[in-house]
Amino acid sequence: MLAQLAEAIRSHRPESIAACRALAERALAAGVPAARIVDAALIPAMADVGRRFRADEIFVPEVLVSAKAMQGALDVLEPALADAGREPFATIVLGTVQGDVHDIGKNLVAMMLRGAGLRVVDLGVNVAPQRFVAAIDAHRPELVGLSALLTTTMDAMRATLDAIVAAGQRDRVRVLVGGAPVTAAWAMSIGADGHADDAAEAATVALRLLGR
Amino acid sequence: MDTEPAVPRAMSSRERMAVAMACGRADRVPVMCQLSLGHVFLHSGGDPVEIWHDGEVLADALCTMQRRYGFDGILVNLPGRDPDWRARVARFESADSGWRVHWRGGRVTDQPRDDNPHVTAADGKPLTVPLERVDPESLFYVEPHDLEGLRTIPPDGFPPWQCDTLRAVRARAGEHVSVHAEVFSPFTQLLELVGYQDALLALIVDPGRALACLARLAEGAVHLGRRYADAGCDALLVSSAFVGAGFISRAHYERFELPFVRRVVTGVKELHPALPIYVHTCGAIGDRLDLLEATGVDGIDTFDPPPLGTIELADALAALGGRVFVKGNLDPVHTLLRGDVAAVRTAVRERLELAGRRGGYVLSSACSVPPRTPPANLLVLREEVERFDA
Ligand code: B12
Repeated sequence: MLAQLAEAIRSHRPESIAACRALAERALAAGVPAARIVDAALIPAMADVGRRFRADEIFVPEVLVSAKAMQGALDVLEPALADAGREPFATIVLGTVQGDVHDIGKNLVAMMLRGAGLRVVDLGVNVAPQRFVAAIDAHRPELVGLSALLTTTMDAMRATLDAIVAAGQRDRVRVLVGGAPVTAAWAMSIGADGHADDAAEAATVALRLLGR
Repeated sequence: MDTEPAVPRAMSSRERMAVAMACGRADRVPVMCQLSLGHVFLHSGGDPVEIWHDGEVLADALCTMQRRYGFDGILVNLPGRDPDWRARVARFESADSGWRVHWRGGRVTDQPRDDNPHVTAADGKPLTVPLERVDPESLFYVEPHDLEGLRTIPPDGFPPWQCDTLRAVRARAGEHVSVHAEVFSPFTQLLELVGYQDALLALIVDPGRALACLARLAEGAVHLGRRYADAGCDALLVSSAFVGAGFISRAHYERFELPFVRRVVTGVKELHPALPIYVHTCGAIGDRLDLLEATGVDGIDTFDPPPLGTIELADALAALGGRVFVKGNLDPVHTLLRGDVAAVRTAVRERLELAGRRGGYVLSSACSVPPRTPPANLLVLREEVERFDA
């Protein structure tokens, strides 16, 4: 059943969206612990989707379908996960920085991070530094993710990091940055902890920053 | 009696563009970039709020920029504007970051100083419509840049002023400049209408409805393209920005964009067979040049160089074999925005060496010129094309 569920997520067929909910329900009914369903089906399937996206074997629509199928299963599993005391193992506050409204890539990153088992607090686009600061206070995340698609708004990334430092939050969070013009060198120069070129790598780097 | 051999006369910009768009070799390589509106706001000297809302003011600004940079053509990338737009405004606000226009109907336009304005509903919600609520039969054309935001236009529903900005540019630029109009590809219209994510998802979960919408939206684009041609444009750009490999597969391109752009091209050419039509597709198109060509267009625009793009100019020229004209390839960000004059010069010379002697090439930024591009960098383009042929 778990193999079927993983395969349904990977398949990005339209019917997989409904099928994944049903398969998750069946697995729960059969007594499989929710955490095991997540670890053995959802996470490896999404990791595989990420790999194929990176390799240009699949494209944005396929990833969206897989992510939606995965999310459907996760919705079914969430009450059981909570009952079992298994919270998402970490939280990330994610947003596109001030002045920038590009969010297609950021949304894909959010999906892959959910697929990797994180709780994602998505602040949306055009997010001012102080909103990141307030969200860090409110949600106590381990990670912060900043997206920028414009060279001009890369500076807003730096401003956001500066605001996090000024608010005395810097030692509480690890900061991950990305977006087409963002390079590893830039990430280092503004004092970020990690950088990824695409949504699949974002999940890998996030897990690495969390020591997983 | 012997006649004197004709003295070769320098071509006008309009003639030069026409020759290049017919894949021929003109007296020199024509140059024409698509400017972001932010660049026009910052550098034309006009009032940005007026430029966005008033077609006459936009026409002035576009012509000012064309003359300043010595471009051979102008792309009119906004529709005409309601001459009575002020009567629909409840109030204006201004702030450090830009301006806000409150419409009587409740919508709000936020206009940054250096970027495209953005319109939201009175409740702050986006204006997109869920696909399941769209009746494909009622669709005709989606105009994302109406003054009051996204607007679906029913058959025969184009406003009387739709072509006014184009006409105003033609009147100001005169007979010697190439003036281009823009329509949105059916795929772009669908993405704007239902939202990018939902539209892309629909290609897999509701392809029938997506295809039904696209078929209708193609008819609207045909109609609009014909109207622009009637109003005197010299070429038509079909904006097809979201169909590179950064977004969709070749297979999806073949199914959801190719037939509909082809319909736009054949539909417009039925009445205007000589009108050059070209697609504007950003990003990674190296794996699908054959499909872009199969739409029947006369030219392809942007050729973002790697890393954003996936094909070098030399390879693209070889693959296209002079069958369609090529416009673009100067990196808008790394070269035009961030480079200095010397870097721009080097990049321009490289393009001219590769494409300048074979004809069918229009020197241009790939995609639009970013808002804060230094004007000095753009002046280099004209200087270099003149030097190259001399
Ligand atoms: C779609 C798009 C738009 C849409 C955005 C719609 C939306 N809701 O997102 C619209 C039309 C609104 C738009 C507007 C503008 N755009 Co734009 N746009 C694009 C376009 C075509 C695609 C971007 C995209 O979605 N790619 C697909 C996704 C999947 O890829 P991605 O975003 O890179 O994300 C991946 C990675 O970067 C990474 N990632 C992203 N975020 C994060 C975050 C973290 C934490 C991590 C780890 C990783 C990560 O993972 C993602 C998934 O794999 C690009 C050109 C191109 N072909 O790339 C231009 C582009 C980004 N835009 C550009 C410009 C200039 C603009 C405008 C200024 C244009 C104008 N006004 O004239 C405005 C600015 C608006 C603003 N203030 O933000 C330039 C940017 C140049 C620059 N580097 O400065 C580009 C490169 C086009 C160009 N060649 O000039 N744009």
